[in-house]
Amino acid sequence: MKVKVNRRTVDIFDGARVRDAVLRYLVLRKMDVKLIETAECQDAAGHSIGSDAPLKDGQTIKVKNI
Amino acid sequence: MKRITAVFCFALLSLCALAQRSEVHIVSVNDVHAKIENMPRLSAIVDSLRAEYPGLLVLSAGDNRTGEPLNDMNEIPAYPMVALMNQIGFDATTLGNHEFDSGPAGLAKLIDLANFPHICANVFPDSKWGIHLRPYQIFDVNGISVAVIGVVEVGPAGIPDSHPDNCKGLEFKPAPETLQQYSWLRDKCNVVLLLTHIGYEEDVELSKDVPWADLIVGGHSHTQLEGGEIHNGLLITQNVNRLARCTHITLTLENGKVVDKRAENIEVGTYPKENAATAQLLKFFSNNPEFQRTLCRLSAPITSYEELGCLMADAFCASGKADVGFVNAGGIRYGSHEAGPFTVADVLRLDPFGNDAVMLELTGEELKQMLMACNAADGYGFPKVSGIKCELIRDKKDPGMLKDIKITHPDGSKFCLKKTYKVVTNSYAAAVSVSPRKDQGRAMNYLTSQMIIDYLDGKEAVDYSGVCRLSESVK
Repeated sequence: MKVKVNRRTVDIFDGARVRDAVLRYLVLRKMDVKLIETAECQDAAGHSIGSDAPLKDGQTIKVKNI
Repeated sequence: MKRITAVFCFALLSLCALAQRSEVHIVSVNDVHAKIENMPRLSAIVDSLRAEYPGLLVLSAGDNRTGEPLNDMNEIPAYPMVALMNQIGFDATTLGNHEFDSGPAGLAKLIDLANFPHICANVFPDSKWGIHLRPYQIFDVNGISVAVIGVVEVGPAGIPDSHPDNCKGLEFKPAPETLQQYSWLRDKCNVVLLLTHIGYEEDVELSKDVPWADLIVGGHSHTQLEGGEIHNGLLITQNVNRLARCTHITLTLENGKVVDKRAENIEVGTYPKENAATAQLLKFFSNNPEFQRTLCRLSAPITSYEELGCLMADAFCASGKADVGFVNAGGIRYGSHEAGPFTVADVLRLDPFGNDAVMLELTGEELKQMLMACNAADGYGFPKVSGIKCELIRDKKDPGMLKDIKITHPDGSKFCLKKTYKVVTNSYAAAVSVSPRKDQGRAMNYLTSQMIIDYLDGKEAVDYSGVCRLSESVK
């Protein structure tokens, strides 16, 4: 499935969680995967969401503090 | 004069009666995911609010379980959460997708052990399971009737997000359509509350179609709302997962109708008080004898990460019924184990991350690229494999650099790079391994730690001493 992380399209396995998409985003951006520890995630409307939150195809998330 | 005063008093009393105000108070949680250590603090919060508001309703919007081995690996899986919820005095829960994680029989047992109803209108179990669900329940809160209707998310495959085997013998219907069948509760009750486990965006969408309801207490998307939000006239609430917060909802009624809806978050994780009885019950469940259960015996000591990695990858292959399994090197959390008993606790130390298994269908070439990508991203070395052997070809000028790999079958025979293989790895490796492949895979709703337990459980003895499936050369 495809989700958007900070406006970048990330292709990830079905059933992935927010943490998985952020990890993929960090690797795509050639950033340290350890930044997952400090990442703060939000949904498209700006609400905080947990890193264990389920994702669905087409969802948009924003990641801060990385 | 006396007559005038009497008439005035009567009129005033009548007006008061007409505009009689009352309140309904609710504490709600969602996606607790067995964060049992926060339950004594939640219990203290409930005590404090109950003392102030007798008739307080305590509700859960589902996913009470899954996420804490002390709970999920209890002799009766997930029973500690049910016992703690009983002790706190929950009034109801709906089902989350994870409530199905022990299959229909496990769910039936937990519902029987609960002192509170499981309310879910869009799940239709085969009667053979004896799953006692209610589509709705009407609560009498100090003379005010509150209808609670529950629903769970149903994914594209027609089942909630759990392993398909866990949903056998259960029929599911879409939540929005199902809810419409209960609009008649509006005429019967003062308050209509939808207890949903479908996600925040879906709750907002749903609010357009259920003007007859007053509020939605939601879960599933782990969305932290600031108290609550009003959408299309309905109050929607939800918190992030693992009981960081709960929500205190206040509904004000005049003449039996809701005229005001408010919600505030209460921090649970940092709440300064605990209920002593709940803390005592938690202590009881914190010593889980299941953790000390011997799964099998190691006939020789394990002395390297490579050996334990091979064990893990074999478990992925066997439990996932795959051709090839692999684990990222950083996912192996210790590198030695003495000969003798290998316990459930040993598995949870070896694979403590709660990673899900991911199944992919890859050509040999795609697998090769994925293994190299995993090696590059993980930073702890080349992944440990099962179903294949790998020769790591390093650069002559820069031996730290992996130039290529040559894959063979375990017996050394040629591995076809064009053929498609079923591959199982963990969700971390699937996420960080960026490589060209047609299939990104799918989560199996099967924890890799559980895969290892299932693989070893009942085996008399295993021997991984000296097992090595990686070799090196320089070119």
